[in-house]
Amino acid sequence: MHKIWNFHGGVHPVENKTQSNQLPIIVMPIPTQLTMHLSQHIGKVAKAIVETGDYVLKGQLIACAQGVVSANVHAPSSGHVSAIADRTLPHQSALSGPCIVIDTDGKDQWATLTPTANPESLSKPDLLNLIQAAGITGMGGAGFPSAVKLQPKSNIHTLIINGAECEPYITADDRLMREYAAQIIAGIQLVQQLIDQPHCLIGIEDNKPEAVAALTYAADQHTNIEVCVIPTKYPSGGEKQLIEILTGKQVPHGGIPADIGMVCQNVGTVKAIFDAIILGQPLINRITTVTGKAAANAGNYEVLLGTQVTDILAFAKVDLAKTSRLVMGGPMMGFTIQDTHTPIIKSSNCILAAADLELAPVADHHACIRCGQCEVACPAQLLPQQLFWFAKAEEFEKAQDHNLSDCIECGACAWVCPSQIPLVQYYRYAKGRLKTINSEAQLAEASRLRFENREQRLVDEKLAKEEKRKARALTAAAAQAAKRAANPSAEDPIAAALARVNLKKQAQTNIAAQKSPEDEYKELKTAAAITRTKLNKTRKALTNAQAQDHEQAQELQQTVIALTTKASAAAAELHAYEVKLGLDPEKEKTLQLAVAKANGVVRKLEKSLATADDLQQLEAEIFNAKAIHEAAGLALEEHQANAKEKPTSTQES
Amino acid sequence: MQTLYLAIAILALLAIVFGAILGFAAIRFKVDGDPIVDQIDSLLPQTQCGQCGHPGCKPYAQAIANGEAINRCPPGGETTIKALADLLDLEAIPLDAEHGSEAIRTIAYIREDECIGCTKCIQACPVDAILGAAKQMHTVIVDECTGCDLCLEPCPVDCIDMLPVEVTSASWHWQQPAQLIATSNLPYSRGESDHA
Repeated sequence: MHKIWNFHGGVHPVENKTQSNQLPIIVMPIPTQLTMHLSQHIGKVAKAIVETGDYVLKGQLIACAQGVVSANVHAPSSGHVSAIADRTLPHQSALSGPCIVIDTDGKDQWATLTPTANPESLSKPDLLNLIQAAGITGMGGAGFPSAVKLQPKSNIHTLIINGAECEPYITADDRLMREYAAQIIAGIQLVQQLIDQPHCLIGIEDNKPEAVAALTYAADQHTNIEVCVIPTKYPSGGEKQLIEILTGKQVPHGGIPADIGMVCQNVGTVKAIFDAIILGQPLINRITTVTGKAAANAGNYEVLLGTQVTDILAFAKVDLAKTSRLVMGGPMMGFTIQDTHTPIIKSSNCILAAADLELAPVADHHACIRCGQCEVACPAQLLPQQLFWFAKAEEFEKAQDHNLSDCIECGACAWVCPSQIPLVQYYRYAKGRLKTINSEAQLAEASRLRFENREQRLVDEKLAKEEKRKARALTAAAAQAAKRAANPSAEDPIAAALARVNLKKQAQTNIAAQKSPEDEYKELKTAAAITRTKLNKTRKALTNAQAQDHEQAQELQQTVIALTTKASAAAAELHAYEVKLGLDPEKEKTLQLAVAKANGVVRKLEKSLATADDLQQLEAEIFNAKAIHEAAGLALEEHQANAKEKPTSTQES
Repeated sequence: MQTLYLAIAILALLAIVFGAILGFAAIRFKVDGDPIVDQIDSLLPQTQCGQCGHPGCKPYAQAIANGEAINRCPPGGETTIKALADLLDLEAIPLDAEHGSEAIRTIAYIREDECIGCTKCIQACPVDAILGAAKQMHTVIVDECTGCDLCLEPCPVDCIDMLPVEVTSASWHWQQPAQLIATSNLPYSRGESDHA
């Protein structure tokens, strides 16, 4: 007989197992609808590979594992995919998650399976691949993908098989061990083959003598498989607790059993490994206990994964009117089901339909009296009271320092608490907050790095731009120099530019040289006027000089003569041009005078109109004068118009 | 009198020796940078939102180290103020309303069919969490977004929404049990208890 150790703490709640473990496992008929969650395991959500409307066969892969820690999902029965949508998760939060809904057709037609006749021939990777492909996860509760757990990094000397089933009410593993003992032993052998033939210890509580007998009989021929009967104490089925009971060793803080050379598997998981490798069947069903005083047909049922709780309740004849609380899982660690359409997943081992007062009502809790009973009960050897204070005061870091993460949430402390403090909920709250704080810290750190990288990048870009600008200027200068060196005869660019400007200027002057006759006339007129003014000025100066100094007067006299000649030349030139243009300045002058005269007459008459007596005569005179003025104006305008037209015609001709 | 001179000489000698040790230590164990600024920076939420009036969390950390008030970080809220107060041995004061109020964490989402691809939000994002190119639709890398709101203002077509972070089954956690003052003691059967 293998030596048995003990673990610290633990409690002895009433077992309540006989209600459900008396009858053999009943296979539940196929429900009309199956809801397959894509996240029935710890790790990444599987990715659906079927589409709405697809026909799927029993055992067909419908969702693929994503990443290492994830698991495949298979269709539990044949039928059509009616929806791929969010459905209520079997989780405390009652949140929704992605699901594939299959409307079954009742044919239960299997996909092609590939059973293995002689598993001894399979290599380790083959075995692992088969386990991974079958989507097997831990069936005991946590749902960790088995393929990951079965490739430990360290050397494994002991394989622990968990058949303790310590939580009250649940008997699924008990019935499984009684009815599938041979398959469990065969499954253990496969796992042994996979991890270098470690010694196997099967731990079963002493309240399951039939299961112990069945497994002892099945393991009779195998020297390296030992069935160990352990005393009934909650939570002996906890992984770390069972390891301590069977080997006397403790898994280190923050470590896993593989760190001390052990791997622990649930009996249900081992049976699923047998089904997957020997029969080729993926994980599509499980044994679930339906129990509680409200269940008329309490017992163990083989249900397809994805079966809704409501279908199971109807099949087990649960009186919902009598049910005060519907719990998924056991009374110590389970959670209240809020939506009965929640489906069964790979780790759902029990549905507890408790009648009135079967489970303690949620009572008001009293103040902690520091009795210390929780410390005595804690199987993880923590200080539940301290953790409670820290969680209550939101001092999560201190709670972490007191090894909150080692709490397995078994509920033993809360069970013994005389003040009925919901201690586990405080720990779960603290754990949740710590997780949030840690993830926020990670996000903050990532953001900080991204921010700093960005700042650095902006500075670098600015510098690079400046560098580039400088480099460009240098290259341009070098190119210029090279150009000059290659072609020395070429003139200086500045000189060339100046020459261009000069050319432009010259062109403009040429354009100016081609003056219009009107402008030419004006210029001549100005030149004539200027000479005339000069002449007049010199004449004046001459008159002054003659009065004072003779010498200067003589000089001036000569200038006057010269200017007179110039003026007359200019006048002659102007006149010649006028004649050429057909202008008649004399006539214009006469006309202008006539207009001015007429205007003067009109004004004079209008003035006298204000004082005159004979209005009528004056008015007539004004009328006449106005007519004369108008006629003179018209004549002048006509003359000017003629003069303007003429030069154009002259130019044309 | 000789004793007095001796005492003075010994003390002077000791002063020189210890001064040399201190001087050596100051050079040998010199701490680069300002460790307090880094410590403060590590407590700030790193949203880089600028609500404190500084162009990022690091500048605010620097300002706090220079004596600025610790209550100007709305995204950090009470938790950050408490942590800063603990670190700097100051009194935790309520959040300065002038710089905003503590709100639930949000994440930017671009209504992608309305985006015109102007890249203005990309330039505004302090953590490079927006992906896109000129005249191409932009999108927010949700995992990198800090919810700083800085991309909202430059968007010419107002196609950015700030949506609260959804609770998933992965992020959900239990709430603290309601604290009740118990006055009644209901019948309680030990054997059939449930505290889960």
